[in-house]
Amino acid sequence: MSNKATGSNSVADKPQALVTFENDTIALAEGESLLDGLTRTGHGIPSGCRVGVCQACMVVMSKGEPSSVCQKGLSAPQKALSYVLSCQCKPDRPVTISRLSAASQQTQGRILAKDWLNENVLRLRVKADLNYRAGQYVTLWQGEELARSYSLASVPSEDDFLEFHIKHVPGGACSPALCNELQAGDTIGIQGPLGQCFYTARPDQPLLLVGVGVGLAPLMGILKDALYKGHSGPIALIVGAAKASSFYLQQALGDLAKNYEQLTVQFIAQSVDRVIDQPTEESIDQLNSSTVLEGDLYNFCRNNYPDLKDYKVFLCGAESFVTKMRKQCFLSGAGMSDISADAFISFQ
Amino acid sequence: MSLFEDIGGEAAVDAAVDIFYRKVLADDRVSEFFDTTDMEAQHAKQKAFLTMAFGGPNAYSGKDLREAHKTMSLDDGHFDAVAEDLVATLEELSVPQENIDQILSILGSVKDDVLNR
Repeated sequence: MSNKATGSNSVADKPQALVTFENDTIALAEGESLLDGLTRTGHGIPSGCRVGVCQACMVVMSKGEPSSVCQKGLSAPQKALSYVLSCQCKPDRPVTISRLSAASQQTQGRILAKDWLNENVLRLRVKADLNYRAGQYVTLWQGEELARSYSLASVPSEDDFLEFHIKHVPGGACSPALCNELQAGDTIGIQGPLGQCFYTARPDQPLLLVGVGVGLAPLMGILKDALYKGHSGPIALIVGAAKASSFYLQQALGDLAKNYEQLTVQFIAQSVDRVIDQPTEESIDQLNSSTVLEGDLYNFCRNNYPDLKDYKVFLCGAESFVTKMRKQCFLSGAGMSDISADAFISFQ
Repeated sequence: MSLFEDIGGEAAVDAAVDIFYRKVLADDRVSEFFDTTDMEAQHAKQKAFLTMAFGGPNAYSGKDLREAHKTMSLDDGHFDAVAEDLVATLEELSVPQENIDQILSILGSVKDDVLNR
């Protein structure tokens, strides 16, 4: 490699800014930015304004300490993931840099267990070696061609498995195979983690978590992560659905709310359709421990949380929900950088 | 001291951007131009706009501004609406009138580019 640092021209008593990038080692010239150094040595990095505004040249500093200058204007999750703006980055000691696209891992997982959380949602637990944050998502690969992204409901500090909530879509490309064909012991490809919707709040900051459908999966992860990290501010989890029968994990969430006094859990359904033919003690318990209200999710949030100033907001679910709720929360006073969202894109 | 430093630099932009974006989103005269599914991207644009209006470092040229606005069929009414929302934002943040006037003059200097005249 012609660009290998030889040190022959460097000032001996200065720590040299060596950059490791895709099996190459690059010595930055005095005052040279990471972007300029990578470009000079033939590594194409997209760039735009070159003054740290457009964020086109963002890369990951997988080894090294990012300075505040090269993370100026980035969100808390981006900072936590060691993203840097390469045009603003002038490291004075060795760093390892990756492209954003190369930052995710590829690994194999083994199916541990499958069980149905309700008629349509399957809980899938997978054993895999993955470094992630609760609330992120991965792409699950079945063979070479078939891939879909699913959110993680597990918490890395507590769970020695990855947990997914798979919504069974009859006739879908991916979920029927995941739900019906894969068995415990089978292997599955995992790529990730991806996403920037994870817990980054101040311990005393009020949290509002709103999700629809299996948007509950990443919110479960974020919620537990916050509780396990000792979050002391009030936490409200609101789960919405068209029909009350599509809620799941009500018992587990009810128990969680009993154990943590800062947590309130509310289920909002457009229609309460759950019919109990033969009430059992268990089913009555379930209904009592979960507070299902009939109503409109947006109105409920607007009426009960009219002022979101200083709140940290997490929104997970269908894209249309995230778009509408993000705007509503922003107009209710939540700062744009305090709204983290994970929008599920449907493949049709 | 430059205008940008005078009003508080980047921190002033950060303080203003949410307030300003809320105002244009709620302003029926222009909200359609700002109401998008990608609110974060739009928010970043507002930040870049305010940095320019506050006399801060920016990489925008008159050509960029023309290019960005040319398909929107904007008129004086739209321009004035955004200017009013910006003034209301600055007043809310207690920016001195003298600085508001300087910002309005920067805004005025790009008017022809924005309206593609």
